[in-house]
Amino acid sequence: MGTRLTGLLIKEMLQFLRDRVVLILILWLYTVEIVICTLAVSFEVENMPLAIADLDRTPASRALGQSFLVTETFASAGQPASVTEATAWLQTGRARAALVIPEGFQRDLARGEAPAVQILIDGTDSNIAAQARGAALGILGRFGAAPALERNGRGNAQPVVRVWYNPERTYNSFTVLSMIALAALMVGVIYPAASIVREKEAGTIEQLRVTPIGTMELFVAKTVPTLVMGLLSIFPSLLIVWWFGVPLHGSFALFLALSAVFLVSAVAIGVLIGSISRTLQQALLLSFFGLFPILFLSGTITPAESMPEVLQTLSLVSPLRHYMDVILGVFLKGAGLHELWPQALALAAIGTPLFLLAAWIFRRSPVG
Amino acid sequence: MAEPHPAIIRAQRLGRRFGGRWAVRDVDLHVSRGEILGLVGPDGAGKTTLLQLCAAILDPSEGECRVLGFDTVRQSAEVTSRIGYMAQGFTLYSRLTVAENLKFAATARGVPPGLLPVRRAQLLEMAGLGPFIHRQEGALSGGMRKKLALCANLVHRPALLLLDEPGLGVDPLSRRELWRMLEGFRREGATIAFSTSYMDEAELCDRVAFLDAGRLVALGTPADLRARGAGAVFRVASSEPGVVESALSRVPEVLGVQWQAREVRFAVDPARGLPSPLRSALERLGRIAPAPPTIEDVFVILTAGAGDRPAADTGAAIEPRPRGPGEASVPGISADRLSRRFDGFIAVDDLSFEVRTGEVFGLLGANGAGKTTLIRMLCGLLPPSSGNARVAGTDVVADPRGLRQRIGYMSQRFSLYGDLSVAENLAFFARAYGLDRRAGREAIAWASGVTGLAGLEHQSVARLSAAVRQRLGLACSILHRPAVVFLDEPTSGVDPLSRFRFWRLVNALAAAGTTVLVTTHYLEEAAYCHRLGLMHEGRLIALGDLAALRAALSEEVPETVEAVFVAYIERERARVLREGGTAS
Amino acid sequence: MKPSRVTAVIEKETKEIVRDPVTVGVALIMPLIMLFLFGYAISLDVEDIRMGVLDHDRSPASRQLVDEFVRSGYFRPAGAYGTPQEVESALQRNAVKLALVIPPGFQEALARGETAPVQALVDGTYSASANLVAAYAETIIAGFPEVVAPAVRVEVRVWYNPSLRSANFVVPGLFGVILMAFPPLLTALAITREKESGSIQQVYASPLTPAEFLAGKLVPYGLIAFLQIVMVIAAGFLWFAVPMRGSLDLLLAVGLVYVFVTVGIGLLVSTITNSQVVAMLLALIVALMPSMLFSGFLFPIFTMPYVAQLYARTLPAGYFVDFSRGVVLKGAGLPELWPAVALLFAYTIIIFALAVWRFRKKVA
Repeated sequence: MGTRLTGLLIKEMLQFLRDRVVLILILWLYTVEIVICTLAVSFEVENMPLAIADLDRTPASRALGQSFLVTETFASAGQPASVTEATAWLQTGRARAALVIPEGFQRDLARGEAPAVQILIDGTDSNIAAQARGAALGILGRFGAAPALERNGRGNAQPVVRVWYNPERTYNSFTVLSMIALAALMVGVIYPAASIVREKEAGTIEQLRVTPIGTMELFVAKTVPTLVMGLLSIFPSLLIVWWFGVPLHGSFALFLALSAVFLVSAVAIGVLIGSISRTLQQALLLSFFGLFPILFLSGTITPAESMPEVLQTLSLVSPLRHYMDVILGVFLKGAGLHELWPQALALAAIGTPLFLLAAWIFRRSPVG
Repeated sequence: MAEPHPAIIRAQRLGRRFGGRWAVRDVDLHVSRGEILGLVGPDGAGKTTLLQLCAAILDPSEGECRVLGFDTVRQSAEVTSRIGYMAQGFTLYSRLTVAENLKFAATARGVPPGLLPVRRAQLLEMAGLGPFIHRQEGALSGGMRKKLALCANLVHRPALLLLDEPGLGVDPLSRRELWRMLEGFRREGATIAFSTSYMDEAELCDRVAFLDAGRLVALGTPADLRARGAGAVFRVASSEPGVVESALSRVPEVLGVQWQAREVRFAVDPARGLPSPLRSALERLGRIAPAPPTIEDVFVILTAGAGDRPAADTGAAIEPRPRGPGEASVPGISADRLSRRFDGFIAVDDLSFEVRTGEVFGLLGANGAGKTTLIRMLCGLLPPSSGNARVAGTDVVADPRGLRQRIGYMSQRFSLYGDLSVAENLAFFARAYGLDRRAGREAIAWASGVTGLAGLEHQSVARLSAAVRQRLGLACSILHRPAVVFLDEPTSGVDPLSRFRFWRLVNALAAAGTTVLVTTHYLEEAAYCHRLGLMHEGRLIALGDLAALRAALSEEVPETVEAVFVAYIERERARVLREGGTAS
Repeated sequence: MKPSRVTAVIEKETKEIVRDPVTVGVALIMPLIMLFLFGYAISLDVEDIRMGVLDHDRSPASRQLVDEFVRSGYFRPAGAYGTPQEVESALQRNAVKLALVIPPGFQEALARGETAPVQALVDGTYSASANLVAAYAETIIAGFPEVVAPAVRVEVRVWYNPSLRSANFVVPGLFGVILMAFPPLLTALAITREKESGSIQQVYASPLTPAEFLAGKLVPYGLIAFLQIVMVIAAGFLWFAVPMRGSLDLLLAVGLVYVFVTVGIGLLVSTITNSQVVAMLLALIVALMPSMLFSGFLFPIFTMPYVAQLYARTLPAGYFVDFSRGVVLKGAGLPELWPAVALLFAYTIIIFALAVWRFRKKVA
């Protein structure tokens, strides 16, 4: 049995190293893909085109306009001459927000009669709009609020906001880490699936079945190399992590260990897909479109907390969801096993039955 | 319909290169109106490429080709609208019915809608497809699909019809019917050019062109070609065919040796003739007599010495294999009322037969006759629906796993690992059979020696020729010296010389005590087997050696395997009809 | 170009598609699945945020402050802690997204007229929601116990989507993305499948011209694509209650043009390769991925690096997404949106011309 298994493992490794398409795909997923996504993906508001309809044209009104433009959030889209023009710009999309400063702004401000300023926001992109609104309110709230405030003898609470784990509030760390998690899932699923189906298509599976090689030996040969390979692929992605300045506050060993547990689930799914597909095309279609829902429900694009109750509960079944918590926790928060044990448990609890199911289906399929 | 051009096809110095490899090189060809030209050669000879060049669906790298007077590169549209081209394999739309496929072909080819019903009726009758007009193409048998493809290419009455291996994988009866259709078509004045690796089809052509490694090696009528082998082919009937074989293999003037079941046939270089020392040696071993050369013999004579066929031959005496436990005097294979059903479709129907130890048993039959299903059951890959079998002393149903260590199997598709090298494949299969380190090395050395793989260890399998892959497939299946070996169509598409060599190997293995069950499409290879089994629609309709089979027929048929085979199938069809079934 | 030959191809293709239940199923069901996933799962609405409190003061005032958070509707109390370590652990465990740390002497400081600092620790891992959480927290704390009169009065109007519903944002953009997912894939597979099975050789060796063949392929897949978009539009409006402020006819008409673009992309991909697997990967990488990431569907283009913005501007998906949102949410019409429409027309012609040019009736 040992000899047979050795032979199988050697063959799998040789085939993997010779398959340039898969190697490149894996490398791509772990490097270029991450970079592209990080550059594109961002829910932050930065350089939002703001039209400033300054109907007052006084130093005060210009100061107000400037207070918006100095922030990273807004960038100038131009100065429309009237409210109508500003509205048109919103319609055509030339501006995503408009600031309307009424005539007599400076005068009213000096007299202490709070002048009314209008902010029009294109709400199409609700996320951007919400953030823009929050930012605008903040800017306006601080404008001119510096002088002493009159209160009737009572103090006010003063907010001291600290954003932990991501002080620069960039999206980068989140994206890089979630892309790594995603890459691990894709590789873990696609590789065993493709490997099994290719043997079916080439007919070598029949040749194998005539030899004394047992089904379980074959199963091990299809799963273990992917697990090892999945773990090793994490290392190149560390380069990207370093390049984007994503910190690693927790234990790398813990991360590797939990990644291994996660990969068990991924590999199990891959074997399932490989066992039921007849052609490589079917396997790839199933992988991509089957992984889609898992992807979404796992909080890789938007956090799970924002989803409806039903979907949130559903997402607890997704191993990627727990792995996301792990990877974000270990890298950004410095969390250890003490904090992440529920996720570790969940990953094991999902992975084990999946793996057993995969073994069972593999045995039942024409492959086994 | 037919244009009055003197040359239907005129190719001059035609060549086509793919990457660094020339698939076709320096071909000069001239086909006249009303001719049937056969392009004969093994896999990789360039037949498909040449036909595609003539059909104007592939541009040449050098030279030119004019079809029906039009240049295939600059006037390809004129060519494609006037010819018919039937590609290899099954190229119609499997989800469309017979009628729908014909309608599409007719419209695509500009047949006026008014003419379609008449032509369709004519064609379907000629092909015998009338009753299946509303069946989906994918649900037809292989032979019927080919006939339909032919109809689709005849619907517009082209002046020239190009066919790429039309008979490949089709049962002999359907092949005959295809030929009848072609003959009928030719009588109307059309020209036909087709390619084949079945040398016997070459006999039916007006002229034959031999293609080998992309070059035109010979061109002439079958009679002319056969004449080129006159006096160069001999056969020796001997009780020690193994010794004859090894005597022959060491002589350089001998070009091709065929070790058939009870005699050895060989060809010599016509320029040098049969050397007298050899003749005396052979006369001492048995009776030697000249034999009439076949097209295949001539092909071998003309192409031997070229390409990558090593001159020194292996495959001579293999020492007898040690007998395993339980094998003593038990037949190598014995099947008892084996049946297999798939969802109401009976693939193998109540089959019983026996193969003795050390016998070479040939299983013949068309695609879909049930040969592969039967082999799968005997290998333990597929459980029988009923009945049982014992192979190598092991019960197939009770102990399929124990079976695996005692059998070897070479599947139809050369299923080896294309991305690994020869040595890596051998090492893997050695380990798969539990042979490690020293045992493995010895087994590999023995198997590659026997099959002549020396020097090829580091080649990637994907780039090997069909002949070498076939030898590797055999090597991988005998590493563990099994008692029984199953070979499913091992010689498909391989050049004749390599086929001869392969069969010599098989016979040597059998002589050393291995039981061999082989399936093949090349009917003349039946001569290499001790006994034959003929399968048709899941049933074994004939069993025994060729002479006995021929004698058992009620009427006189020619001595060829094909004639015997067709006679049995026709007899079977008649029986089924009498009993109220439908023939296919 | 002979219409009878084109019709023959259309007929054949349609029959093949209809008799392949898997393809039909995928084509009709997957878009709906995508719609529901995107519609529900992509929500950036920040609500029901788990909040933890470390209250050193334990006074009525501190309790009132916590109440203010709960009353805002955005926050939900999820834990009371006794030590800073517990707070840190809670944040690390993802038990809470916001931790309030109220200092001792809070109530007294307020009574004395001093400002009392209150720490709001926000889990910044996911910065979009972190920003919002921080902003809400800041506002609530700064407005305790009373909101201070600001210097400037603000009137904020959110147009086109006042409720800021994610669904309104996602669904119209989804029309553009779904059409970039399936039609290119199905069409590319359709042709490469013929190449792999060999049936395309019959086409090569016949009078059918490339234009006729491609047009014949285009129609059935275009129809399927159009069906997909109608289905998604219907589901979007009926199920997700996305408003329709503009002209449905205009949306469908330009949708038809967009369908030609996407099917054309599939045809173009199929002229590049003979392998179904490669065609599939290309369709996914060249069509689907960029349209998801760079079309402005989810992620705003204006935040991307300049080079990425230039790239985004070359994508037809981007123009259709803009157009679709313009019609659906802004009630815009042709006068405002004609540049996008014109570009889509241009794309159709270019892609088609390229596909016909590249498609040779040659085996190699």
